[in-house]
Amino acid sequence: MRTLRFSAACWLALAPLLAISLFPFVVMLVTALKPLSEVFIYPPRWLPQHPSFESFADMWSATKFALALRNSLEIAFESTFCTLVVAVPAAYAMARIDFRLRETYRQFLLVTQMLSPILLVLGLFRLMASIPWGDGTLVNTRLGIIVPYAGFQMAFAVWMLSSYFAAIPKEIEEAAWMDGCSRGRAIRSVFLPLALPAIAVTGIVAFVAAWNEFAVALTLLRDPERQTVTLQVVNLVAGRYTVEWNQVMAATLIATVPVAIVFTWLQRYMVRGLTFGAIQ
Amino acid sequence: MIAPSLLLAAFVMCYPFYEIVKLSMHEVSRFGMLRAFTGTANFASVLADATFQASLWRTLIWTFFVVGGTLVISIPAAVVLNLDFAGRGIARAIVMLPWSVSLSMASIVWLWSFNADYGMVNAILQSLGLISRGVPWMARPETAFPIEIAVGVIVSIPFTTTILLGGLSSIPGDIYEAARIDGAGAFQQFRALTLPLLRSFINIAVILNVIHVFNSFPIIWIMTQGGPNEGTHILITYLYDLAFRLGRPGPAAAISLIMLAIVFVFTFVYLRMQARERT
Repeated sequence: MRTLRFSAACWLALAPLLAISLFPFVVMLVTALKPLSEVFIYPPRWLPQHPSFESFADMWSATKFALALRNSLEIAFESTFCTLVVAVPAAYAMARIDFRLRETYRQFLLVTQMLSPILLVLGLFRLMASIPWGDGTLVNTRLGIIVPYAGFQMAFAVWMLSSYFAAIPKEIEEAAWMDGCSRGRAIRSVFLPLALPAIAVTGIVAFVAAWNEFAVALTLLRDPERQTVTLQVVNLVAGRYTVEWNQVMAATLIATVPVAIVFTWLQRYMVRGLTFGAIQ
Repeated sequence: MIAPSLLLAAFVMCYPFYEIVKLSMHEVSRFGMLRAFTGTANFASVLADATFQASLWRTLIWTFFVVGGTLVISIPAAVVLNLDFAGRGIARAIVMLPWSVSLSMASIVWLWSFNADYGMVNAILQSLGLISRGVPWMARPETAFPIEIAVGVIVSIPFTTTILLGGLSSIPGDIYEAARIDGAGAFQQFRALTLPLLRSFINIAVILNVIHVFNSFPIIWIMTQGGPNEGTHILITYLYDLAFRLGRPGPAAAISLIMLAIVFVFTFVYLRMQARERT
């Protein structure tokens, strides 16, 4: 089957799809490398004639990009941490303990997974606005956004973790009990080290989701000092009369490429969690 | 051990849900102060609202075409990607690339690509001689909305293809050999073997896509904000517009509840489908 002609035919059949998949990356890169004078040339050209990193520097100074990067990192790290703190014990229970109502809990998770935060965003905003915090309310605070992120990532995380936990042989823990280990100690010194890779993968997925999130951040983070990278980039475009597209593309490139690399590496692990156990 | 997760869900889901129910049944000022209890008046006004009706209709079109278009492209793509050809790993990685870009970033890049004067889409069409002047794609709903649907399809392909690839890899290869011996052509094999065996994976991909696409906010919000002339609103963007720009939280809450009801129907269908798979 693997003749040269056969392979060429396959590539040819996929060509349109491959072109469309790569197109945004090419557009980002060529636009970001153009100086402003070349962005607004009519008719437009593909390649920059004098490629430069000017747009990156301009964007960095024109926006609060460093601050936004820091906000994004902090929010993503902290919400990932919260997600894991809640999800790891729940996933352990799902995988190991045959508790009553386990099936109900499974369905509860599925329903929360289907609830998109955007459907509840109005209520979330009112919730955060009603809780006093510091000088104001939880709106515009990191805490106010970390908690919803953790809540909406939880179902996915529990599901993904428990499917991995179930694959860790029970006998290892049981052997530790025989040796006089308490249940808690067996979890800590036998189970957790084995579960660490699964926890890491789930953590990265939660991190990427928080990094990319738009609607909740748009609603809850109104103060420019608090905004994430995603919001900053959108603000460079939204409601502006003139948009400096080379700067925008420089910013999207910075916001996208690190995540794209991690994601490409991870996606084969993700399907399990996303399809919610429907596919073994 | 599951208690913290239940508490968290109660806090970020149940309480906001309760708030939305409360809002939907009251007259609410633009700053969110509850005034008179009005029962179902918000629902009645929303249902009579022409923009709501148009958005509801457009949501159906949006969901149908994004999910349908995704499937029409993903099935053949998955079939080809499942063949054993040289460089398959690279081809798979490229097809999966758009998945790694957040919806908002993808929307921004496509918005720029469809720019009337300087966008690369017009540049390509002009160099092919298909158009003589730049087309202002995003200036009219008639062109902007189909473009948004196309972007929706592009971003949904990687996920769908992954699920279908998972299904294809579970089909044993020797049944095709048997079919070939019986004289079945490639297309016949596809229709009589691949499609039926893939059915449950297609069902799951469709229902999950329906739920995601129905709730999809960033593409339309970033590319057109529901405009021009409210001509590209779907329910979710109209809801957001009402709640946070037009200052009408009451009707927005009513739309939230209507959408939640629809999502629950989808979820129920999905649960039933899963239950059937298991038995």
